Amino acid sequence: MSPKSDRSYSLQRRLLAAMAMGFSALLLIISVLLWNYARDASNRTYDLLLAGAALSVLDRVSTGPSGITVDLPYSAMEILGLAPEDRVTYRVFSDLEGEITGTPNLPEPRDTQLSAAPVFYDADFGAPFRFVQQGRQLTTPTGRVWVGVQIGQTRAGRSAQQLSLFVNGMAGLACVSLIGLGFVWVAIRVALAPLRQLAQALQNRDPADLSQIDGAPPREIRGLLDAINGFMRRLHSNRTLTETFIADVAHQTRTSLSALQGQLSLAGDATSFDDMAVRVQKAESQARRTVRLTNQLLTQAMVTHRSETDMLKPVALKPIVTEVLTDMLRDSDMRGVTVTLSADSIVAGDDLVRGDAISIREALSNLLENARRHGPADNTIDVTLESTGPNHVSLIVEDAGPGIAAADRARATERFTSIAKDTAGSGLGLSIVRAVAESHDARLVLGTSPAGGLRAEMRFPRMLSQKTARAVGAAMMVMLAIWIAPLPVAAQENVSLNIASATDTAAMTQLMERFESLNPGVTVSYREYQTVDLHAAVMAASPAEMPDIVISSSMDLQVDLVNRGLALPLSIPDVVQLPDWAVWRSELFGFTFEPAAIVYNVELIAPGTLPQEHRELINYIRSNETGLNRKIGIYDLRRSGIGYLFATQDVVQGLQSSRMTEVLTRANVRKFCCTSEMIAATAKGDLALSINTIGSYALAAAAQDDRIGVHLMSDYNLVMARTAFVPKDAQHPDMAERFIAFLLTEGQTVLARESELIPLLPTADTFAAGHFDLRDFAGSFLPIKLGPGLLTFLDARKKAEFLEGWDTTDSGFPPD
Amino acid sequence: MRMLLVEDNDDLAETIIDRLRSEGHSIDRESNGDQANSLLRHAQFDIVLLDINLPGRSGYEVLRSMRARDDQTPVIILTARSQIDDRVSGLDAGADDYMVKPVDFRELSARCRVLARRKAGNASNVFTAGDLVFDRGAKRATVRGQDAELRAREIQLLEILIGNLGRMLTKEEVADKLYSFDEAPSLNAVEQIVARLRKKLEGTPLVVKTARGLGYMAYVAEE
Repeated sequence: MSPKSDRSYSLQRRLLAAMAMGFSALLLIISVLLWNYARDASNRTYDLLLAGAALSVLDRVSTGPSGITVDLPYSAMEILGLAPEDRVTYRVFSDLEGEITGTPNLPEPRDTQLSAAPVFYDADFGAPFRFVQQGRQLTTPTGRVWVGVQIGQTRAGRSAQQLSLFVNGMAGLACVSLIGLGFVWVAIRVALAPLRQLAQALQNRDPADLSQIDGAPPREIRGLLDAINGFMRRLHSNRTLTETFIADVAHQTRTSLSALQGQLSLAGDATSFDDMAVRVQKAESQARRTVRLTNQLLTQAMVTHRSETDMLKPVALKPIVTEVLTDMLRDSDMRGVTVTLSADSIVAGDDLVRGDAISIREALSNLLENARRHGPADNTIDVTLESTGPNHVSLIVEDAGPGIAAADRARATERFTSIAKDTAGSGLGLSIVRAVAESHDARLVLGTSPAGGLRAEMRFPRMLSQKTARAVGAAMMVMLAIWIAPLPVAAQENVSLNIASATDTAAMTQLMERFESLNPGVTVSYREYQTVDLHAAVMAASPAEMPDIVISSSMDLQVDLVNRGLALPLSIPDVVQLPDWAVWRSELFGFTFEPAAIVYNVELIAPGTLPQEHRELINYIRSNETGLNRKIGIYDLRRSGIGYLFATQDVVQGLQSSRMTEVLTRANVRKFCCTSEMIAATAKGDLALSINTIGSYALAAAAQDDRIGVHLMSDYNLVMARTAFVPKDAQHPDMAERFIAFLLTEGQTVLARESELIPLLPTADTFAAGHFDLRDFAGSFLPIKLGPGLLTFLDARKKAEFLEGWDTTDSGFPPD
Repeated sequence: MRMLLVEDNDDLAETIIDRLRSEGHSIDRESNGDQANSLLRHAQFDIVLLDINLPGRSGYEVLRSMRARDDQTPVIILTARSQIDDRVSGLDAGADDYMVKPVDFRELSARCRVLARRKAGNASNVFTAGDLVFDRGAKRATVRGQDAELRAREIQLLEILIGNLGRMLTKEEVADKLYSFDEAPSLNAVEQIVARLRKKLEGTPLVVKTARGLGYMAYVAEE
């Protein structure tokens, strides 16, 4: 009768949850639409970059004596570089001559017709790429020809923008939804007000007041009110029943006691001894009945009480039955009764039910007591415990007594109904059994036994059979065992970290030693390359021979490798605040700060006499042409990647570069492979000055050699950074990542204190490089930005043309 | 028989004392648990009737201290509560039987007689029930003066049954007591031995009652 559920819930919360789910479903639909919208919007935005780059490339396509050529504009790559995280690729081709420059075999749009209108399309090129293809018609001596350009860009920027548009949109919508839910909450509270009024009305009631609740409730809670009123009616009738029961009990007890008293009083008044003996005998049997009545009333009360307090727990029936029968058999008046127990078919666990052992014991005692009381002295009582179907277990008591006629059976389980008047039952025995059966969800079935007596069956719902329980237990054990099983412990191995680098070994030694001491078990092996060789080696390396870290001073070649998708994205600690120009795509990291500097011989050129600006430097060289003849050193651009980088960046900075080339040619400039040779030649006086040397080496040399001076310009000084990345195929990517993090944190201090290189990030020692204070020139430093722009001068045609123009500086002397 | 009744209710005690005295037993009464305990230390009784709810110390404590000093006097617990827990703790504490109040006097007398016989059967070498005489020392039983010609196993069984008069023994318990550890006890063999013994004891007051599915119980039938 009582509700078993102890999990209470709030109607308001449920409604709110339902509404929230509705809102979520709406948000889900909107999110799909928004996602598509965000993708289209970000595509439109970024397609403009592609279109702009394509237009600027097409603009530089021209016909020349050697056919169609293109002078890849720096701006094209710079435009693409506006999406800082994206890799780029391009291709220029014509329908007559095929490939002109760039990466051949880029994916083509489905509609291959080349036209003047840009065509955008997505394709997979190692990673998801977005391409544009656009054409232009040129008139050549041989006729009209179509030139096409394809430019591709990875989707990182687009995806980020799409996500950002989407997240912002969704955040707004979520806010609106929350506000909506707030309104819903208010509405629910208002709607539920009648329920609270009803609760209040019930609470204020007198406990004895079971009258109907009046009022005109809203239609929605009409049913509830009707149910409450119905319940009140039933409670009222129940209370009436209880009152009747108490009246019955009082009546029965009083009657019984009055009869006892009457017999005793008659015995007292008896005139003869025989008369008195008869009365006393009657009084005794009346007393027995009273005792039994009292016992059963108490039992009935106890059973009812226990069923209401929910004392059910798993109990086995067989031990209870055996115990009750053994107890009963000790009674001396059971000696003539034949008792059997048939429970052989029950295996341990089969007889487990959810029950209250004491109530079941009382029910069985009453069934046995009935059989004994109503049956003959040589009665036969058969007790059977057996499985009934897969889900029930039956306790059956059969006797050879008079039994109960089928017509009386329904009545027999009611209180104070004794079918057999002559044996004077209290009429409570079977009603106790029924109460126990009901409190156990069991069925009480009355019938006729084979011997013609009563057959009473209590059919209990069974708990899980032991077999099932055992299976569940075994499964749990297996899961537990799997869970506890020791995880394989990663062995601390000796790691050999391979660094391939275009940097003097001496400059790196301190760094590597410090890293090894911080990471026991790690050996750093270092292999030195020239920049161009290093680029080629990484391009050609098989996964097994790929180094763990690639370090080079040639920023453009590094960008090229990363742009090919060879690098692994790293997560560098947030404390490292690299300037924008020195990091690209979380893959390529600059770690040194190296301005291009002019080195001069202090005996040949008095300190402080060199001009401050590039324009003036050209004039200075021109006016000292004879004095400086074969006394100026520059990089051999064909052999040195860093030289080529500085030279091309000078071109980007202004038009003076062609004039510079011209004056240098006239002064019979000499070409060197590297800064160290230029410095050595300058120190000896073979050179008066060297242009675009690596500043860090120059400063270090000047600190040790009085013959050398270092000169920085005041208009601009190019600054390059040595960069490092971890290849995708690295053998020890984790350790490599740790090395790069080290390079950007503690390594910076090591660089500042113990090497010639100047760290990128400001440390306490950064600017105290030798006798020279770089801070004086802070405003003039022009760092070369890592990014696709650096790819411009790597374009095969562009490079060929640039070097061709530069070769005119060749004065006929062999390069040193 | 000399009995001790430990009961704090004077009216109930009086009726029990009168009843048992009328049957010819000598009976002492204590109404306090502590006093009963000290009396039991010094005096010997044949049977103790022990109430549970007592002033002083509870019936269980009295019983436990008896068993703790190896006093094997049969004890019947009289309890007002019919709950299973009382029954279990009473028997666990070493009671031989228990009865629920209000007690039927005839039943009480019968139980007392059973316990007395059981005690006698355990204590002395010769057990007599009507015309059955069993001499444990000589391993011999006579019925109406004639040798009952019991075999060794039947003698053993009879000894077990007399030692557990009025107590239900399961077939397994009988087999355990009848056979040593090495012998394979067969439940069928137990049944056959019981049947043979019952036949040989026919006509004597010693009855071996079989309750199928439960076990065997021997008692002395009274006229």
